Amino acid sequence: MAEALVVRGLSKRFGGLRAVQDLSFAVREGETVALIGPNGAGKTTSFNLITGRYRADAGSILAFGRELVGLRPYDVCALGLARTFQVARPFGHMSVLANVMTGAFLRHKKPHVARERALEAIEFVGLSDKESNLARDLTTIDQRRLEMARALATEPRLLLLDEVMAGLNPTEIDQAVALVGQLAKRGLTIVIVEHVMRAIMAVARHIVVLDHGQKIAEGVPKEIVENPDVIRAYLGTGYAHA
Amino acid sequence: MAALVLIALPLVVSSSFAIDIFIRVLLFAFIGVAWNLLGGYAKQLSLGHAAYFGLGAYTSTILLIKFGISPWIGILAGGVVAMLASLPIGALCFRLQGPYFAIATIATAQTLMLLFLKFRDFAWGAEGTTIPNQGNSPLMMQFDAKAAYYYIALVLLALGLAITYWIERSWMGYYLVALGEDQDAAEAVGVNVPRIKRDVYLISAFLTALAGTFYVQYIYFIDPNTVFSFNISVEPALVSIVGGIGTLWGPVVGTILLEPTSALVQSWLGGARGGVQLTLYAVILIVVIMWQPKGLLGVLTGAYHRVFRPASRSLHG
Repeated sequence: MAEALVVRGLSKRFGGLRAVQDLSFAVREGETVALIGPNGAGKTTSFNLITGRYRADAGSILAFGRELVGLRPYDVCALGLARTFQVARPFGHMSVLANVMTGAFLRHKKPHVARERALEAIEFVGLSDKESNLARDLTTIDQRRLEMARALATEPRLLLLDEVMAGLNPTEIDQAVALVGQLAKRGLTIVIVEHVMRAIMAVARHIVVLDHGQKIAEGVPKEIVENPDVIRAYLGTGYAHA
Repeated sequence: MAALVLIALPLVVSSSFAIDIFIRVLLFAFIGVAWNLLGGYAKQLSLGHAAYFGLGAYTSTILLIKFGISPWIGILAGGVVAMLASLPIGALCFRLQGPYFAIATIATAQTLMLLFLKFRDFAWGAEGTTIPNQGNSPLMMQFDAKAAYYYIALVLLALGLAITYWIERSWMGYYLVALGEDQDAAEAVGVNVPRIKRDVYLISAFLTALAGTFYVQYIYFIDPNTVFSFNISVEPALVSIVGGIGTLWGPVVGTILLEPTSALVQSWLGGARGGVQLTLYAVILIVVIMWQPKGLLGVLTGAYHRVFRPASRSLHG
């Protein structure tokens, strides 16, 4: 299968801090890949580099054959890469429907078409009964759902999910995992940053482990949980026996 | 119905003082509507729209007096000059956000005022000039009847409201509100924030310049201190905030309250007016912001919905 995303030699410094160092990984089309690692490992920075919020100091990012380094976030989104934020950032004073329509307008400028597409995305994430609520009145999980619907409304080929499950209770995590699973089934390529290992094991085909901005391991979930470097840096010894 | 009342108003009201207030209400509501596109929907709080008001006024006046060109052409030329000026001004000011943006826009209007104070050769410097009165000459935008000015202002306001109505319902309206809420999140869903800001600024500057030409044709006088005045910049922001910022009718409602109040206070108190008027504005602004941040329109629609139907939620809630 073709490569959806190829990251090569990606580096970013903030002053003296090397947030991401010489990072390389690839994601095949239709695959779900997880980016894991301790806090400050460079996961969110990598997302920000890929989606054009930060400009890479070095390296290249190819998405569907197009170079992304130097592009602005709206150009990256137009190329078919949509993201969610670690802390949900809905347009608070807009309704759920208006939030998602804003995403849908990227591909459909006619309001009635954008509205239809938005309603589909809202239904998919399970927010249909709240479509006229103000975004800021939603609960945490519903705001995450909203962000996902808004991202999906831009009709991406690659979806980048930044800790969509943080702060959710076990039932909600199951719901979120099911949602990600459904997206993957539709053929969407997904890169997910996550701390909830249970969720990662359930959705990811391939895992990339970061620590101090560098890739320390990469492989299928089973290899990763048994990798001594990963256990030392991130999972802790308890995990291997659990 | 309301439209008929507005059209018939000058025919039944004979007081020239009253017509003057109506004209000012229409004009400042129009400037408020123009400002609201940028300051209300997109939450880019410009306090420098006098720059475009003044450029519109000076463009048409220079064309009229130096070249004999009708203000009907001048008003459009002024709009185009304002749009051209908004490009570099926007490119500079939009690098800044929030209060820094507001301060930068103040500086642009003040800078233009200082420039026009110095331009003695082609713009009459600080003394300004009167617009030569040619009697009743509709082709030169001069009329004996005040009602004519009333109708021009009414058409301008209708134009501004129509443009706003159209934008509010299109993708552009959603994009404006979204970038006003969270620029990064808007860019992440494909909103080209710099381009949308530039485009809405072009529209807002164009409309504001039309008001500038109309105003000097109405008062027959132009000088930098009048048309680049800080009051011209503040008024549209004020009427929008008081009426309901980022809503179609907000600036209109705000102007209907503020403009006649200030005109009446001015006529009652005469000389002491400056301070009193500003104090009154400040009090109204504080009251609105403290008790009803959505503006008077929010109070009215809230009451309406409570009485007539369950709360409906629009784009802005």
